[in-house]
Amino acid sequence: MKEKDFYVDFKPQQLIYYVEKDDASYGPLLSGSYLSKHYLDDYYEKMEKLEKSLREQLNNGEISPVYYFMILQSYGEGDLASRAGVSKRKLKQHFHIKYFAKLRLSQLKKYAEAFDVPVAAMFHLMITRNEDQGKITVEQVETKNSFFSIARLAIKTK
Amino acid sequence: MKEINFEHKMGAHCESGTITSLLNHNGLGITEPMVFGLAGNIFFGYFESSNFPFPTFIVRNRPGSIRKNLAKNIGVKFYTKNFRSREKGEKILDELISNEIVTAAQVDFYYMDYMPEWQRAHINVHFVNVIGRNEKDYMLSDSYYSKKSTLSVSKLTKARFAGGFMAPKGFLFYPVFIPDEIDYERAIFKGIKKAAYNMTKLPVPFVGVKGIRKFARKVTDWPKIARDIDHLSHEIMKINILLEDQGTGGAGFRYLYATFLQQAADKLNNDQLNGMSQRMMEIGDSWRNISYFAAKIGKNRDLGPERLKELSEMINDMADQELPFFQELYKIVK
Repeated sequence: MKEKDFYVDFKPQQLIYYVEKDDASYGPLLSGSYLSKHYLDDYYEKMEKLEKSLREQLNNGEISPVYYFMILQSYGEGDLASRAGVSKRKLKQHFHIKYFAKLRLSQLKKYAEAFDVPVAAMFHLMITRNEDQGKITVEQVETKNSFFSIARLAIKTK
Repeated sequence: MKEINFEHKMGAHCESGTITSLLNHNGLGITEPMVFGLAGNIFFGYFESSNFPFPTFIVRNRPGSIRKNLAKNIGVKFYTKNFRSREKGEKILDELISNEIVTAAQVDFYYMDYMPEWQRAHINVHFVNVIGRNEKDYMLSDSYYSKKSTLSVSKLTKARFAGGFMAPKGFLFYPVFIPDEIDYERAIFKGIKKAAYNMTKLPVPFVGVKGIRKFARKVTDWPKIARDIDHLSHEIMKINILLEDQGTGGAGFRYLYATFLQQAADKLNNDQLNGMSQRMMEIGDSWRNISYFAAKIGKNRDLGPERLKELSEMINDMADQELPFFQELYKIVK
């Protein structure tokens, strides 16, 4: 594809693509992502809907936090099972509250590590009110105690 | 604080970009398309595996194969090392940096927190060059990022020792020997032969041109396995990401490969290869049309059977284009 037909002006996501230059040689071009420039809003809309729907299922006890994080982080079941050190059959059981309730803390910690969240996040989600969105930040601070973390809340300054 | 003097360059792809920068740093003038092509890495494979959240496809050969194939083909030697212990893995990396040795590391891409959030996913086969360290952070040269970046020591260690499918196990590598003379004619022909063989002759029903046909057949079944219409839309739009934005140089590495063929033709003064590079560029344009189409129908949730059949036919047409292309390419270098 010719350079002039390819270039996309989108600074937040720039990539190297290979294109045909004016002199017919092929070479690299730094360009924005076509998909992100045109469809990023759609992606966020879908993710927001997905998160809300999963949270509702979590609230209703229909799914466990393991399933919630697995879907949100787009894990394959085999990959997650391997990271958490369980069989796929066990993993599927842990999608349900009945079996989640029987998890050992050490097993829960492995899941938390795979999701890169504190162990506390497997029991507790922190969200802001709609009207406060973007105004408050939550920073998860790890401590030397791997079972204990601190959530540091801060009001965003301009 | 230690930072090695290293020229950061962006690359189309993490593995070929990392290796190109490493080789350039160590005195071998070679381009990324040449690294990719000499390693015979153009590919196609369609996979349905529980290691992925949904059926997927790849457009380059197995991660790690660029380094291995390039080493075999041109005689470069790399130091490579896996680690069982995180502590040891961190210690060795720190020693290498202290000794001014720029070292490539395999990582889970999810932890690269300098990248835009929407790009980050758990993929254990990302590669970065580690170029320095201070008390809190490592300094990285990541081919996907416009400038040198920093990542906390704990994050890089987590990324190097993430478990799961294709776990990095702390993997590190750097070149230890670069030959004075490289027989480019032999290496180019060997790289092309490997790629053409993989695309047309591998007796596996889901790789090469057969893999493209399988993808074409299977994509019409995707509605049966998607959770809902939004999920289906997401997966269809991911076709665009896998072809364009996941470090391919555009059109599923086809533009990068066309550039390799053009550079090879120039090096060897070979008109046939030049003609093939133009054909590969045109094939790339057809793949890019699929990317645009997938993005459009995904966004519009226009995902009924007729539309998916149209997409399937477009993909199948790629198999019709790539089969004779790689067969001819094979004959040229045989």
